[in-house]
Amino acid sequence: MAGKIQSLTDEERAHLLPLLRNAQWVEVVGRDAIYKEFIFKDFNQAFGFMSRVALQAEKMDHHPEWFNVYNKVQITLSTHDCGGLSQRDITLATFVDQASLM
Amino acid sequence: MEERTEERPAAAEGRPSRLTALQEQLIWALLGSGLSRDVLVQAVGELERERGPSAGGEKGDGGESSEEGEMDFPPPIYRELEKLSPEESAKLRAEVDQLLQGDPWHVAKMVKSYMQQHNLPQREVVESTGLNQSHLSQHLNKGTPMKNQKRAALYTWYVKKQCEISQQFTNAKHGLASAEEPGEDVRKGRRNRFKWGPASLQILFHAYERQKNPSKEEREGLVEECNRAECLQRGVSPSQLAGLGSNLVTEVRVYNWFANRRKEEAFRHKLALDTPYSNQSATSSHANLPPSPEHGVKYSQQLLCDTVSSARGGGGERVGRLVGSPVQLEPSHTLLETHNAKQVSSGGPLPPVSTLTSLHSLTAAPTSSQSLIMASLPGVMSLGESSLLIGLASTQPQSVGGGFTTLQPISFQQQLHASSQQQISQQLQGHMGASPFMATMAPLPCHMYNKLDSPQYHSSSLLSQAMVIADSSGLGTLTSLATVRQILTTDPEEQTDSPLQDDSLHLQPHTPVPASSGSLELYPASQTTDSHPSHLLSPSPTDLGSYIPTQMVSTAQ
Repeated sequence: MAGKIQSLTDEERAHLLPLLRNAQWVEVVGRDAIYKEFIFKDFNQAFGFMSRVALQAEKMDHHPEWFNVYNKVQITLSTHDCGGLSQRDITLATFVDQASLM
Repeated sequence: MEERTEERPAAAEGRPSRLTALQEQLIWALLGSGLSRDVLVQAVGELERERGPSAGGEKGDGGESSEEGEMDFPPPIYRELEKLSPEESAKLRAEVDQLLQGDPWHVAKMVKSYMQQHNLPQREVVESTGLNQSHLSQHLNKGTPMKNQKRAALYTWYVKKQCEISQQFTNAKHGLASAEEPGEDVRKGRRNRFKWGPASLQILFHAYERQKNPSKEEREGLVEECNRAECLQRGVSPSQLAGLGSNLVTEVRVYNWFANRRKEEAFRHKLALDTPYSNQSATSSHANLPPSPEHGVKYSQQLLCDTVSSARGGGGERVGRLVGSPVQLEPSHTLLETHNAKQVSSGGPLPPVSTLTSLHSLTAAPTSSQSLIMASLPGVMSLGESSLLIGLASTQPQSVGGGFTTLQPISFQQQLHASSQQQISQQLQGHMGASPFMATMAPLPCHMYNKLDSPQYHSSSLLSQAMVIADSSGLGTLTSLATVRQILTTDPEEQTDSPLQDDSLHLQPHTPVPASSGSLELYPASQTTDSHPSHLLSPSPTDLGSYIPTQMVSTAQ
């Protein structure tokens, strides 16, 4: 595993969080994490999306907390190692958004 | 959005998918994660071996492999995708899909213009996409249909290339070497061949007109200028040179370009020297001139049309066409014929292709390729490319006659006196500031015209000297020009100036000297007053009229 993951600095947060918020990511109350819900046409789409995210997560070695029921996918991103948001979350969030468009 | 993923596989394959929707999704997810088809198929094979045949039926490619075999599929371009970060890869795919959904012809035009803008060789596309080059060329230029899968490969290359190039430009700013492959590949280990862009060529030709042998400092200045122009053409800041990649202009390249142009000129000069000797036998044919003014006109028109169309057709074709036309010309125009015959015969094998490019210098027009053709066939030119434009016209875009800007006064050769020729060439140089061509041509005409004793011929030679007509309406103009010429040239020596001034090719070598001096509508008359080529282009008879007197004055030396 890599060294200690750094949590996002305030500057970075100030810069990045607005962008994420624009993309409908929400900050979770009570913890340092971001959350978003995706709704797809059907299960296949949803699961295809999840497969893509899963493959990416493996590549990045950074996994989301997520829930899926039929065509809905709820994703929460946070970094366990630093107890909050890190750059990996941002990266994965971006990827997740992309994947949901495919 | 989501629908696309379902349709995409079927559309791309062009065949009904035997997968369930979910299977398709999973496949696409796998492919999107950076797996190439090859790797996937191989992995499937390995897994099956490991787990035994009972592990499942066909997995993976959905039966495509049966058709394409292993070949290069997926094309090398997809391998590169793996190297990208997943985000970028995803972005790329999204863009590619978008392009695939659009109108193929529109996208093709976009891709083609991008390639032209950045001077990218087709070879590069072919190598990285595995497409057939002929097919690619036809698809981009003529809209020949291309299957979705192949288009996907093309668009993938396109999108990726755009990233690379913008990265190159950005990195240049920061002084970093681009980590991406800027058009070469470790696989190929070969850099793209450098190609001169039209903007740079313009600059170079201008400089060549000024001085054929620039010093190192001057060359360096040209390097800067050209690179700046190329960057501007690509829409980037001139300081980001690295983005030009293999098409970056260097001092060595400029040096070579000048050296090649000088060699070309010498070659043309040599050709020109050959022709006069074979000309003498043809003089008698001059007698044939008078009878066919119309013929000549038609001829020039024909030639014009030919050249115009051929010019549009493309470089190679043009050359071919031009070569063909002289043959037609010969019979009808004595003057021209003589000249032509010489040219054509002595020209024998066309001068090296690069010779054609030299014409460009005369033109200084953005797309002088057309003019090139003209220049290479001096005989043809004089025949009456009414649409031919003298290099002077270089600064202005030509109308129909379009790119024939560089017609150098080939007809010059048909001048009367050797001395006048020299004078002319000098003047031409002075006025036009260009046309090594003219210098070359100078010696030729003498012979022919000297034999002519009638002033008529002189005038016709004057006419022949008239080089360029700015536009298609020039035919009419030329006719009157011819007339004018005759009137003007009472004295061969006068021609010294007139050729310079008269850009119009005389269509009719004969001398129907209708004393219609009043009807003078000399185009190039403007040249007398200023050496600026642009004047040649202004097709206003009125202007010409005003010039006539000028000419007369100047010629009266």
